[in-house]
Amino acid sequence: MFQSLLLCTHGTAGARQAEQLVFATLCAAAPDIRITVLTIIDRDWQDMTGDDWLNSSKTHAAFLDHVQQQVQEENEEDWQRIRRTYPAAAAATFVSVVGPIEETMAVEAEKRGCDLIVIGPHRKSRRLFNLEMDKGLRARTDTLLLHRLLPCPLLIAPLHPENGP
Amino acid sequence: MAQIQDNKPLFIISGLMILYALLASSGILHPLMKYLHTAKTADLQVTMGFIAGGIGILGAIINSVRKPGTTLIDRFVLQPLPGILMILLMAMAIRWYVEPVVKLISHSLQPVLGFKIYKVLNLNYVILGLLAGVILTNTYGIPKFAQAGVKCARFVLKMGVIMLGARYSFAELAKLGTYSIFLVGFFVLGTVFFVLWLGGIFKQPKTMTGVLSAGMGVCGVSATVAVAPVVKARSEEMAYTIGTILSFGIICMFVFPTIGHMAGMNAVQFGAWAGTGILNSAQVAAAALAFNAVDIKTLKVAEIFNITRVLFLPIIVLVLATWFGKESGKKLTFKEVVIDKFPIFILGFLLLFAMSSMGLFSPPTHYKGKFIDFSYNDRTQITEKEWETLKKAVDTGTIKGLTPEQMEAVKDLVAQRQIAGNYEDRNDKKLFYRQGEQRMFQLEAILAAAKAKTIEIPPDVKAAIKHAVKQVHKKSKTVTTLTDCMIWFFAFGLIGLGMQITKKAIFQAGGWPLVIGVISGVTKAALSFVVVLWLVKDVVLK
Repeated sequence: MFQSLLLCTHGTAGARQAEQLVFATLCAAAPDIRITVLTIIDRDWQDMTGDDWLNSSKTHAAFLDHVQQQVQEENEEDWQRIRRTYPAAAAATFVSVVGPIEETMAVEAEKRGCDLIVIGPHRKSRRLFNLEMDKGLRARTDTLLLHRLLPCPLLIAPLHPENGP
Repeated sequence: MAQIQDNKPLFIISGLMILYALLASSGILHPLMKYLHTAKTADLQVTMGFIAGGIGILGAIINSVRKPGTTLIDRFVLQPLPGILMILLMAMAIRWYVEPVVKLISHSLQPVLGFKIYKVLNLNYVILGLLAGVILTNTYGIPKFAQAGVKCARFVLKMGVIMLGARYSFAELAKLGTYSIFLVGFFVLGTVFFVLWLGGIFKQPKTMTGVLSAGMGVCGVSATVAVAPVVKARSEEMAYTIGTILSFGIICMFVFPTIGHMAGMNAVQFGAWAGTGILNSAQVAAAALAFNAVDIKTLKVAEIFNITRVLFLPIIVLVLATWFGKESGKKLTFKEVVIDKFPIFILGFLLLFAMSSMGLFSPPTHYKGKFIDFSYNDRTQITEKEWETLKKAVDTGTIKGLTPEQMEAVKDLVAQRQIAGNYEDRNDKKLFYRQGEQRMFQLEAILAAAKAKTIEIPPDVKAAIKHAVKQVHKKSKTVTTLTDCMIWFFAFGLIGLGMQITKKAIFQAGGWPLVIGVISGVTKAALSFVVVLWLVKDVVLK
């Protein structure tokens, strides 16, 4: 039914359920489906300099360059994990784009002619009380905003019980 | 036509400013100003409204008739102008309307609550401005037209620090500098090594403890931003660390002034404590102004500590780069580590200090007390606490043994919150100044009598009168203008910085960085509190 699929992941527990749904379930049912794995580098990293006023613009630029380079390296590590875990991922296209989360999903899906977007389920954040650190920047997908922008159907992977409510 | 549409916000803001200036100059707003105790600044309100509004209209016309370019004037004046005027409008509204209204509400709620909210939370125009910035950015968001202007806040804050340089003497700088080098040196290096040690105990990666140690030890997010590329911190380490430092710093900004007041700290002690214990340097300035926004003594002390801390930044970056370089085998150049991280604005601060010390702004006679300033402005006023002390003393009749003239002078001080002539005679400068001089003479006579022990007055009343006399001693016009500009620059800069604190950044806090951050931050704040109370004595500041 679907020809091209956009899988949005950033390696967290919820996103991994979306990966499993796509590569273990959907690919088994439709092996010819084209898959694009999209990792968005959150544009809000720009705001992470907070109330810093001492550093020069050069130091700010060096920080943002480092963030981008670091996040790209971490994405590469994550893509390697996906390739190792799911043989079906070998044929997938992996891309990372800097931008606001919802808009970037919609724009990339349209640009790549995708007819389905797959994302992970909403999970409660336990960041404050969990000593183990989650990868990257804590960011939530604003589903209401995403619904307004969607160029194609959206599939949300079901929440696995061990990932909590 | 499209360009006029693009400049609509600038036309509207400028129009509002001019309209306000017209209303204020017509006298329609005078009863309201009197009710809010801001009538004394009516002239300033009118002047600022006309000047800022006029500049805004001119900028909007230029932006409408010519195509936007990339010249320096475009980048640094015309493009940021709408944002600059928006923040200025907010600063004016907060200083002249929001702060007085908050005070009035606090006064009315006092019988119910048993305390004054604005006093407990130190809700003066600085804190209210910063909060307004935070609320705006996290609710409606910064309007697109204002984004370029908001970025100027960092530059404006640096200008405020540079101008502050004109307010120090050699003696002050030497005394405060000695305190700050020892205290900051001990606590900065101590916290950096304490965090690295805690990281080892909790078996955390060195990249994370490296970036956290700089943030907790030196100057908060600024140090984290400078150190992260040097230690090659991972994305989650940067996010968690920044979130932790930002939230801890914001809590400190509210808690420190309240604890300082409760502990009875003087300006020097509080400035030293805030300058050592609060993480983010912008929050140090905000806390110092929250502690006392009328008298800039606290700010002067806190900024010396701030500057000393900032000077430690390249050293800490060098230490961490060396430490990290050994671990990873990577080598960084001296320029990358030290020269690029050196805060150049400190050279501006030192330049202003040098110019002031050479007498370029103020002839030596101005410091001999010959010139007295009775004009209405915030700097000549006594503090809110002093005013309450005096009012209570007058109402309850606890000051005894004064002559009728002396009592009148005290009553007038309560009525006007400063030594001045009669308000209705303010346009007759000679008469106004003669009345002010007579009142000052009476108040000085009270102090002399108290010193000679011919009368007995409570120590807090004596301190309030002494402060009132000190407040009217004239400074050079240039220094006064620089100080007024500086206060506005700080208010403006902190509103703009508030707009750059997003809830998303704050909510990144958590994990091991939060645990280590809280342990080290609380230890540093508590230890520095004890050390400051123990070692730091009052320093005579002009």
